[in-house]
Amino acid sequence: MKAREFWLLFAPSLLVMGGLLVIPLVRTVQWSFESVHYGSPGSFVGLENFATALTDPRFGRAVLFTLAVTAATVVILLVLGYLIATAINRITRSRPIVLGIMLVSYVLPNLVGAVAFSWLFDDNFGGVINRMIEFFGGNQVLWFTDQVPNGILVIVNTVWHMLPFAMLIILAGLQGVPTELREAGIIDGARAVQSHLHIIIPTIRGVLGFVTLISIMDVLRMFDNLIALSPQAASIGNESIMLYVYSVAFADGAQRLGLGSAINVLTIILILTLLIPFIRGIFKEAKAAR
Amino acid sequence: MTYNDDLTTRAITIRDMPTTTRKPRLRKRPPAWVSALLALLCLLMLSPFIWMMLSVTKPTDVAFSNPPVLWGYQLTFTAFVDLWQTTYFADYLVNTLVVAVVSTLIALVIGIPAAYALSRFPSYISALLLVLALVFRALPRFAVALPMYDISRALGIYDTTFALAIALVAINQPFTIWLLRNFFAEIPRELDEAAMIDGCTRIGMLRRVMIPLMGPGILTAGIFVFLFAFQEYLTALVLTDTSSKTVPVFIATQLGQTLPMLQQAGAASMLLTIPVVAIAFIAQKYLVAGLSDGAVKG
Repeated sequence: MKAREFWLLFAPSLLVMGGLLVIPLVRTVQWSFESVHYGSPGSFVGLENFATALTDPRFGRAVLFTLAVTAATVVILLVLGYLIATAINRITRSRPIVLGIMLVSYVLPNLVGAVAFSWLFDDNFGGVINRMIEFFGGNQVLWFTDQVPNGILVIVNTVWHMLPFAMLIILAGLQGVPTELREAGIIDGARAVQSHLHIIIPTIRGVLGFVTLISIMDVLRMFDNLIALSPQAASIGNESIMLYVYSVAFADGAQRLGLGSAINVLTIILILTLLIPFIRGIFKEAKAAR
Repeated sequence: MTYNDDLTTRAITIRDMPTTTRKPRLRKRPPAWVSALLALLCLLMLSPFIWMMLSVTKPTDVAFSNPPVLWGYQLTFTAFVDLWQTTYFADYLVNTLVVAVVSTLIALVIGIPAAYALSRFPSYISALLLVLALVFRALPRFAVALPMYDISRALGIYDTTFALAIALVAINQPFTIWLLRNFFAEIPRELDEAAMIDGCTRIGMLRRVMIPLMGPGILTAGIFVFLFAFQEYLTALVLTDTSSKTVPVFIATQLGQTLPMLQQAGAASMLLTIPVVAIAFIAQKYLVAGLSDGAVKG
């Protein structure tokens, strides 16, 4: 393909991405060094916004909460996703139905799922879960006003939302494991657990890495579900980074755009740092391919 | 054989697996406990949804009572009627659909040629694209949405369905072209050359040969872009006010208000859910293909 043809075909898409992704991003970086309000030009303040963000204990709590939820969610997603994919890999006839049901929580808007969760857990809305806990002899849990239970609620909801994604990708990986490899393991006398640990998991580690990568990225920027699940997020210390940005730079006429942008820039740096090993891997593969 | 070729063949095999019934080779029927566990899992995954369905069809005075009323109440659809009559839900639903359809169409019209061009180009560009797709997917949404808000106000297109639709096209574009590129890469280049020798121009070939061949791939990408737009809350929250509000934003504003309003939010959620659940079942093959294709190639 000639270079001119390439650019002709690629131009419309590039124009949209350049105009609507790159320009806003540049604006964010620029704002992060300014004291600025919507609709009016800002004035340069150097690193003041970054200093404000990094010394704000509320930002620190938001980062800690976000990282904790991310770590817990990713581990649970990998373990449950693997176990369920293994089980689904063994059924044949009922697979379309099971996959269809599993996909429901993935295709639902995140916010809708969170509202449904809040109805299950909130005592003001019936509190089914607490009634069940009491029935089995436990104590009533304050799912919305107590930091740790609220964090658990957020994790459970996030896992519920992302499990189908993790499971489907791991399932695709499992189906790519050559049957000969498993048979060889059986002949060598490997028990089920051993064959999972020493044969299957090492074979699909690329797929597991991909699930980890996407889950980390998606959980780090969580926002939608907290609107319904953690209405008092700020006061109980369960704010996510994005919720914090929202509350300083947009909600209820908030105007600290410089501070919000500085936090966005810091988040981008955090995410890029986490992505570096994966990016390196992709480039290595591309080089090896041709 | 290069690594890429290997992945391509694997992706094709995997894509067809979940829905076609394969002859069981070594596979025996799963033990009963596996089936039982999976059934329980399905029930658990659906339980928030089922509970919401029950709550919105109860009379408002018992819908949220504690302990919950499980039987002996009169089944009612008042919440749905009220939602329709006392709020602008119909408008919000139309907005949501318009945004989703428009952004899907634009995304495909600009994404297909771009993806095709990339699939016919050396792989380091593809690798760069993949990295960009990942990075843009990982971006904190507000880093893009807040400047978009400022710019859309300056341009006078704030709170229009078009501004939201085009914003979502851009946000989802890296994912769209990455997915489409993977499907194009599976079509042998010899086909392009044959068509070009027969006198097709590059564009004519794309239209007459590639797009018909790419049917399933385009459908897959289209379904994903549609779903992403349909689900979007954050961008819609920032870029809309009253006249182009979408259903997720409406649902959020109903929270923390009165119980009847909360029940209406539930009814709105149900109405929003039914079409996407239908998609989950009808278009399952494409959803699974899109997810596993991205993964296996990634």
